[in-house]
Amino acid sequence: MPPIKWLMHWHPSPGATLNSQILTEACACAEALGGTKDGRWKTSIFFYRPMTRDGAAGQQNPDVPRELLGVALHERPGLYFSIVRAHHLVLQADAAFPQVMEKLQSYRVRVALNFEGIQYQMGDFCLRIGKCVPNNSEALRGIMMEVEYYPLSSIEKSRAIMEDFFEVWQETVAKKSLPGRFIHVESNFSEYGLSDQYSFQHTALQYATCLQHLMAAVTARG
Amino acid sequence: MECVVQGIIENQHVGALELLLQGLSGAPKERVRVHELCLKSGPNLGVAPSEVRLLCDLAQPTPSWTIRHVGGAMRGAGAEQISVLVRSIVESKASKNVLHYFYTIGYKLDHELLKIGFAFRFHRGAQITVTVTSANKMARLHATDEATAVTPAIQLVEITAPAAADNYNEVVSAVTAFCEYLAPLLHLSKPGHSTGIVATAAAAAASLMSSGGGKTL
Repeated sequence: MPPIKWLMHWHPSPGATLNSQILTEACACAEALGGTKDGRWKTSIFFYRPMTRDGAAGQQNPDVPRELLGVALHERPGLYFSIVRAHHLVLQADAAFPQVMEKLQSYRVRVALNFEGIQYQMGDFCLRIGKCVPNNSEALRGIMMEVEYYPLSSIEKSRAIMEDFFEVWQETVAKKSLPGRFIHVESNFSEYGLSDQYSFQHTALQYATCLQHLMAAVTARG
Repeated sequence: MECVVQGIIENQHVGALELLLQGLSGAPKERVRVHELCLKSGPNLGVAPSEVRLLCDLAQPTPSWTIRHVGGAMRGAGAEQISVLVRSIVESKASKNVLHYFYTIGYKLDHELLKIGFAFRFHRGAQITVTVTSANKMARLHATDEATAVTPAIQLVEITAPAAADNYNEVVSAVTAFCEYLAPLLHLSKPGHSTGIVATAAAAAASLMSSGGGKTL
């Protein structure tokens, strides 16, 4: 059973622009808290859109979801997740799943985004701070982090310690006077039928939620 | 990709076939109980109609699901001449909500079957799997406990072996060679080209049963 993990994303202050300096400062905070660098990581998200027989672009088939999300997690390269947000469904499959989709030719990958960055070990915690960029460009779409707490897998039992950690983290970041802050948005696990025991499906879902908020922030900034 | 041949055998000779396979493979017999659901894409989904199979392995204490896409057969003059079908296969394990998932993304159930029988997996020039199963249909949706045989007197024999673009010739040879051993009991050919039952099956089966099967081979 994988350990509990929280995903947080950077929410810029109104009018502030997103830049890689924030990433550098966040990494400095991890080091200030005693984190030691422990390699790099990358998680990828793929947006699938339905394909229609008549090829009518933009014409929505009301019987099928408008979008599927594919998630390939850095910590489990052998697994692949497909999320149908409109129906609160997360499927766990293996790494061959994208090939099945490719053969079926009913949904096609339209956009791929990578979350990538540096990993820090900090006692019982592991921090991964990274940026969200499209697969084929360096355009910064967001900054986010993963906080993993090795000893626990229960979401409820770990809540207090995760909140404490988040508080310390926020205080450390606040000292840098950066134009924005990190936000943790809890995914609605129970809506997806996921239990209190943390699983890779929980992580996939957290990435979908995080992405949703990063996209919303990009839209709001225009 | 995989290489595949199929044949049929009458129920009364299945025991002899099992004995022969046991002797030839030296592998333990595995129980097969697979609920197979064939789904087809709904109207106007995808550039062309598509089909996907969901296999639920009921032989395990905890049922496990596999998504299977069977692709087109290899074509060309070379493919015509060989007696084994070479086709693309993509499989992925999946969580138990996979049927719900495919319904949600626009696929509909076309038919379902329960395959009951046994299998032998062994290496003989290639990684060969022989399955001997009866296909069972369900009167009510997903009612696997009430399944009844589609062809009560006959079972399907299928031989498959994984292959790749750079070795399928050797795999085809290995499968063809293995089929020869089974020839007295059944004809194996490309799927869809059934050649029926074998006239010598009864005599071959009797001989096998009296001699103790593959031990003499």
